[in-house]
Amino acid sequence: MFEYLLSQLVSPVFWQLIASGVAVGMIYGVIAFGYQLTFATSKTLNFGQGEALMLGALVGLTVAPYTSYWLMLPVVAAFGLLQGSVVERLGVRQAIKIKSEAGWIMATIALGIIFKNLAENIWGRDDLKFPPPISEKPLSFHGVNVLPMELVIVAGAIIMMLLIELFNRRSIYGKAVVATSNDRDAAGLMGINTGLVITFSYALSSLTAAIAGVLVAPVTLTGATMGSALGLKAFAVAIIGGLSSGFGVVVGGLILGITETLTGYYFSTGYKDVPGLLLLLAVLSIKPSGLFGKSAIKKV
Amino acid sequence: MLQVENLIAGYGKVQVLQSISLNVAKGQLVTLIGSNGAGKTTTLRAISGMITPESGTIMLGGDNIAGLSTHQITRRGMAHSPEGRRVFPTLTVADNLELGAFPRLTGARPRGEVKADIERMIALFPRLGERRQQLAGTLSGGEQQMLAMARALMLQPEVLLLDEPSMGLAPRLVEEVFSTIARLKREKITMLLVEQFAAAALDVADYGYVLENGRISVHGPAAELKASPAVRAAYLGAAH
Repeated sequence: MFEYLLSQLVSPVFWQLIASGVAVGMIYGVIAFGYQLTFATSKTLNFGQGEALMLGALVGLTVAPYTSYWLMLPVVAAFGLLQGSVVERLGVRQAIKIKSEAGWIMATIALGIIFKNLAENIWGRDDLKFPPPISEKPLSFHGVNVLPMELVIVAGAIIMMLLIELFNRRSIYGKAVVATSNDRDAAGLMGINTGLVITFSYALSSLTAAIAGVLVAPVTLTGATMGSALGLKAFAVAIIGGLSSGFGVVVGGLILGITETLTGYYFSTGYKDVPGLLLLLAVLSIKPSGLFGKSAIKKV
Repeated sequence: MLQVENLIAGYGKVQVLQSISLNVAKGQLVTLIGSNGAGKTTTLRAISGMITPESGTIMLGGDNIAGLSTHQITRRGMAHSPEGRRVFPTLTVADNLELGAFPRLTGARPRGEVKADIERMIALFPRLGERRQQLAGTLSGGEQQMLAMARALMLQPEVLLLDEPSMGLAPRLVEEVFSTIARLKREKITMLLVEQFAAAALDVADYGYVLENGRISVHGPAAELKASPAVRAAYLGAAH
């Protein structure tokens, strides 16, 4: 048994599985990062985050033929900002105002379903092929085959999260976001329009999901239902990593992505979701605030 | 500069302030004293919009600000150093100070020299200079109090509301806070000070109001209030 495990560690297949696990995990991480952005400012989150990803991918698919994959990214980003603002205005703002514990949960789920139906009517129910922007020929590192698009996913996800961190740490508007997360009333006393900050965090959260959508679309199928499972798994990731930690959700994403691909290969694809969900249950019972979380999650 | 008239406010169905009227002239230091639960903090919270007044007017430099939201009131020049300090714990001292000038940095108030003002605050509170790049959450209570006051001053406010700046501080630091307030008064900063140390507050203030069960019971020049037997007996701990 032990020798078998050891032999696997040096086999290219194992490392190839790790590589695709990392790519999938980064997508989970980015979506979970989006959950964390809105949770920080408002203690609420968008349960339609998977649908934001799906809409981003489909808008990208529609726009790309007119420009190029790379020029389409800003269009998708702008669309994400708009879509996130709509979710906050329609689904969340009122619930926060009346301090409703459950209103925003139902409202964001409802909006997610509406977005999915909308997408089915516009783009159809069939899965579509997203033309990849770069070669689909795998690159080989010492016998380990990696898809170029997987590298783009990892790089894109990291760049996006670093840019947001940089914005939060360096710009006065980013500091206003952190201040709102720290203490909303005190941020108001600084002259910060904290309602607008919350709208902005929703917009930013949907932007990251929409970009994640166009990053992941070339390696998966693109269609109205592509976001549902991703959104749910990313939610598990956010709980595992801790909703208060941007770093934690990335680690959580990687853990889930890697366990999925390994289980799928060594056991059965039918069981690939099980280890991640077992980990979720373990985290909830042992450290409910998440592996890297600072405080207990009260509202979810 | 700040005129409050017939202010009624509270939390939900609980009415804390029955009908408050007070006046803070430009360049004056006015103090609001009273026992715990009299409504001192509630008065400040209603003035800065942290709670919405039920009725009454709050005039700031000629405009009625009652009913505006907190950030709008701040952008009109009302700075509030709140009860419990409320510094931003995960941001550095320097970032906390910068955020005090948020309306100036984002075009809502005249910009002036924000960087130079941060240096002035550090000259006023030297301890903050040593802690500049430290997270505000790691500061001691006294240092957090100084940061909260400095952060409020960064607005270059028309009126500064100070809520219990001495609360929870060691006696030596209480003295330091009061000498800072005296210095700000010399610089002609308009202030409304809420204090538990009534005697020290009346020593430094121009004018005083005594709050009792959500109503102003007595008011007058600070020296007169300090001499008044009724005020002495109730708030200054004087023996009969």
